[in-house]
Amino acid sequence: MAITRRQFLERTGAATAGALFGPSFFSNPLLRSAMATTIGDRYFITFFLDGGNDGLNTVIPVSNGSTGTLRGAYENARRSGSGGIRLTPGDLGASGIGDDFATGTPLALHPGFLGFQGNPAGAGGLWALANAGEVAVIQGCGYPSYSLSHEESRLIWQTANPLAVTNAGWVGRALTASGYTGTDVPAVNISSALVPDFAGSSTSVLAIQELEDFGFPYDDDHPEDQLAKRTAVNSLNQLAKPPVGQQGTLQYVGNSGVITLLSSESYPQLHDAYVNNLARRVYNNLYGQIGRGTARDLREIAKVIFGVERAAPNVSARFFQLSNGGYDTHSDQGAAETGGQHYQLHAEVGASIKVFRDDLRDMGQQLHGDPAHIWNRTTIMIWSEFARRIEQNENGTDHGSQGPMFVIGGKVNGGVYGNHPNINEPAWDSEGNSVYHHTGDDHDSTDLRDVYGTVLKHWVNLPAGTVASLLPTDTVPGGGDPDEYWTTADFDLERPSDSEPLFKP
Amino acid sequence: MGDENTVLDEAAARHLVRRTGFGAREREIEGVVGRTRGEAADILLGFRPKGFRPSGSTIETARGKWVKNMVKTKVPLQEKLVLFWHDHFATGYAKVLDVKRMAIQNKMLRLMCKGDMRVLMKAINKDPAMMDWLDTVRNRKFRENENYARELQELFTLGVYDVNGVANYNQADIVQIARAFSGWDFDDDNNTPFFRDSQHDYRSEFPGRGSKTIYGPTRGGFPAAQSFAQPEGETEIDQVTDIIFRHRDSDGKNTVARRTTKRLLEYFCSGVWATIDATKKAVIDDLILTSNFDVDFNVQSLLRAIFTHDAFYASGAAAPFGSSTPRSVKWPIDFVVSTLRMTGVKGKGRDQVIEGGTFSSLESHLTSMGQVLLDPPSVFGWDWEESWVSSATLLARYTFARDLVTVRSGGGRFKPEKLIDLTLTAAPDLVDAVLAALGVTDEFTAFERNVLITYMGGPSATLDVLNDTDLRERKIGGLFALVLQSPVYQTH
Repeated sequence: MAITRRQFLERTGAATAGALFGPSFFSNPLLRSAMATTIGDRYFITFFLDGGNDGLNTVIPVSNGSTGTLRGAYENARRSGSGGIRLTPGDLGASGIGDDFATGTPLALHPGFLGFQGNPAGAGGLWALANAGEVAVIQGCGYPSYSLSHEESRLIWQTANPLAVTNAGWVGRALTASGYTGTDVPAVNISSALVPDFAGSSTSVLAIQELEDFGFPYDDDHPEDQLAKRTAVNSLNQLAKPPVGQQGTLQYVGNSGVITLLSSESYPQLHDAYVNNLARRVYNNLYGQIGRGTARDLREIAKVIFGVERAAPNVSARFFQLSNGGYDTHSDQGAAETGGQHYQLHAEVGASIKVFRDDLRDMGQQLHGDPAHIWNRTTIMIWSEFARRIEQNENGTDHGSQGPMFVIGGKVNGGVYGNHPNINEPAWDSEGNSVYHHTGDDHDSTDLRDVYGTVLKHWVNLPAGTVASLLPTDTVPGGGDPDEYWTTADFDLERPSDSEPLFKP
Repeated sequence: MGDENTVLDEAAARHLVRRTGFGAREREIEGVVGRTRGEAADILLGFRPKGFRPSGSTIETARGKWVKNMVKTKVPLQEKLVLFWHDHFATGYAKVLDVKRMAIQNKMLRLMCKGDMRVLMKAINKDPAMMDWLDTVRNRKFRENENYARELQELFTLGVYDVNGVANYNQADIVQIARAFSGWDFDDDNNTPFFRDSQHDYRSEFPGRGSKTIYGPTRGGFPAAQSFAQPEGETEIDQVTDIIFRHRDSDGKNTVARRTTKRLLEYFCSGVWATIDATKKAVIDDLILTSNFDVDFNVQSLLRAIFTHDAFYASGAAAPFGSSTPRSVKWPIDFVVSTLRMTGVKGKGRDQVIEGGTFSSLESHLTSMGQVLLDPPSVFGWDWEESWVSSATLLARYTFARDLVTVRSGGGRFKPEKLIDLTLTAAPDLVDAVLAALGVTDEFTAFERNVLITYMGGPSATLDVLNDTDLRERKIGGLFALVLQSPVYQTH
């Protein structure tokens, strides 16, 4: 009998489950040996679609293809007409991305991914990158015994642990395993808060909304007092910081204060350096023309990368995070009409990433004489806490199970990965969702840990053994059927059509 | 060990006032010091809820009015409770897009902030802003929408798991509860909820959907599945709510009572209550027993039990704080409002701007700190404690402090002459005066005090801040800002 997450919690208690990543975990010699030889000069960006992105209207079966039934099932579940969210083959004519390998079903991206209608900034959108072979669409990603709670499912994705509640996020654990410590600042969240995926590491992660406003606020009328002020602020934070006998919450605030003060003296300049650079100003304006949160956030990341590439002092970020909200489309989701909610979200993501990629390519040409120089060292991974119900409700969709992820970059082997979930009604579970499984049929699921693990092993360059210890995949604490609970992932995700790896050498 | 008859000394009084209000002004402390914990709790909880409603032509105006109300209120505990419920029943303008509806909900939270929680829950069920926010108005018999049915259980009452990690409900319960809410809507013009019989899911029309029952022996500790269709129709949502409030966890204790008590302890004491062990469970059960909260669900009685319990005063120990002293990160709104109350700086106009200096509206400061009132990040409300702290939000707090003390013109400006005795000249005396003015003397250690004295020039320095205007601006303003920017001040 398979163990469920709940049974596991009952058996061991939620508190002890955290021991999976207890102190002994970090004394693992495999982890120590990984230090400082990992991501190198590459960049890794995680991008969260907050609210549960409707996967079935993100990567859509255009027709039934040679052996499949997916289009028919799609049309049964998604209505046309008033309130209907069905995308017709006509809607999908310009955004094809190739076939689902197992069923031969032709697939297309939602037309929103072509960018905004009538806005030249980011025209072509994500599809343009897909067409250039830079987008891996990984279908059917999830984890066993899915949760339909936003909070619980998000936490499972953020910690990559479907079995138990752990405090450290999966990126946070990877930062620790990479050997970063104390005052290294290897990661930046474009956010007001440190996100859980990046939490619990041995190092410091910055949360920045806008670099321009990241300076320490001194009294401008009295610059002569600045040094005394800085000394005092630093001392107060240092006093709160020592771990011995200090109160935990206070210590956390003190630690954060120390790193904030230091970074506030190096990061704001990155904004000026970017916007005052003639070549970058072109792209600065393009992000502005899109005028949405995703474009603004990617622009902040581009500014930091521009700084790292030009060896700005005390700036060495390699890991980034951004998110975009609004995907909880219980109502008024919209189909292919350009004003629709889902259309607008996809257009925002697609156009913004297109501008970002063009910016990094131009930056590569400007700084290194090679447009591929920076973009080939950059990977973006897009995820959402779940997809949505196969059958639509009145004019939207309720919470569902697994959905597609995107891995995007100059070194990504683009194309369709994984299998499309089985959306035929007889295959639904009692809640109307597709079922996570690894039984060897045409619709086998992809474990989110396989995607994360492939990125950590082949992009962040952590040794295979380290990745295995970071992502619990091969043992079942407390017993249970590994086939049910654990992926057989080897972290070597391949394109099914030709067995090419996710990343080019 | 104390109880409701324990007399409050000054430290305990200060803690009680600080945690039930915004900052601790001397006259507020004087109101409770020397009284018993029980008397003090009754004084603080004795208010008659006001009908204040933060409305206006824009959501920014509404936010400004609410903040202004918090700064000026004589019953800060009422606003503390409205904030708690606003986070608990987190509803956001981003989707509701109607200031009046947000204001109506806010007023309702105020009027019901310490009453019977079942009555509050039933009112929330029919609250127009909530009905729009969680799609009750889009829940129809042919196209059911589960959004509200899920969050009603997960966030408003039971939680996904109980204190032992056992699931409180399953998907079938969500589906059935969604049936109960089908057909509810509200009148767009006068915001009156109504029940549309023709859109309600009746058993006779959908026999395949099963009987209208929830829970049973494996969920909720009921002898059998509970029917909420006696009778069917308009009253189903109240029946569902009553059943939820009788739900028992895997220890046989009332689930809503335990979870609500835990949440209030987290809110008024510290984040240590977010995780439960046997000792904490015993405190929670003790509070419920004292207050009868699992029977009456009277929030005032529960709060009285908390404010007279040792568990509450344990988080009020003075500095230096040991590793086991519970401390709590101040919510941004608490940081801002308590600072304004303690310094007497006043925001002006609709946007609560403080004139002069670089100060922008309170709304813009709070946004950078991560708390946009009436627009929580999601239905989960805000993440508390260390989640409030990041480089971005710390800089926002530092900026607020800097802006506040550099407001050098205008009616609501920063006036150190009203806060400390400017005839003081010795650096240590000035430091002590500023700590006292901000009500945090007991929270600063000798080491931290020494850092501030060093900033003022050292233990033997004298500063003529009365006559030297430039020095006063620079060093007294700087000293206030330093205290407000210190790690200690971010917590309480």
